[in-house]
Amino acid sequence: MPRAGLDLESTTWVGELAADSPARDAAAARLHTLLLRVTRAESARRKTTIPARGHDELDDLCVQAANDALLGILRKLPEFRGDARFTTWACKFAIYEISTRLRRHAWRQRQVTTDESIWETLPDSAPPALAVLQGRETLARLQRAVREELTDRQRQVFQAAVLEEVPIDVLAERMNSTRGAIYKILHDARTKLRRALGRGEPQEERP
Amino acid sequence: MKHDSLERLLGLPGPDPGCEAGFAQLEHYCDAVRRGEPVERRFPDLVRHIRNCAACREDTEGLLAALEKLEE
Repeated sequence: MPRAGLDLESTTWVGELAADSPARDAAAARLHTLLLRVTRAESARRKTTIPARGHDELDDLCVQAANDALLGILRKLPEFRGDARFTTWACKFAIYEISTRLRRHAWRQRQVTTDESIWETLPDSAPPALAVLQGRETLARLQRAVREELTDRQRQVFQAAVLEEVPIDVLAERMNSTRGAIYKILHDARTKLRRALGRGEPQEERP
Repeated sequence: MKHDSLERLLGLPGPDPGCEAGFAQLEHYCDAVRRGEPVERRFPDLVRHIRNCAACREDTEGLLAALEKLEE
């Protein structure tokens, strides 16, 4: 049950969306309109990240994202504690749904390199993340640490996510995994590499 | 090598809640940002995760932009 002192707008949403509310269908339709507005605005904001050949499908993605966000919100409504505004809580589901779809859509026809061939492009055509490395010595230390310190899976994820800048939810889809699991692998790989490069950990970390 | 370059490659050390736990706090973080509260002090681990995770950073920016747009 939401906490006492919830703002009026949030109280109204929660009350009308409750399973036993006679206003539930109308409130769900209003919420869907709001979610669709959010997914369309986010799609428009990030349109330049999508190849032009994929623009025709963007509105379908927005509708799918709003539909899935609404289902998620109605399912999770009993978990809403009212510590944040209802619209902020609801909109995060819409953003999550459209954001994941946009990243996957942008990478739909792009190949993901998960082997060591990405290092061979150096130094003449370094990917953006590696272009920041100044000097071959630092680059060589990093490459050696990646080869010697990381497991195969950590190496694949680090090279793709950091060097090739493949979004982790795209990687999750290609590697039959989840975004959280891929991030955990990346996090562990970075922890090992920081240690190998002499940049110690100030305290114990979790995932 | 510049610090921000290293951060981009190796991430920031320290507690990092990960994507799922970060998502659970996202509405609190965004409401706090919009109220002008010192989020680096209130949500230090989440702030670190947002700096370490490009997808969560993009999602957070999207949510803040959406909330701003809804108020127009």
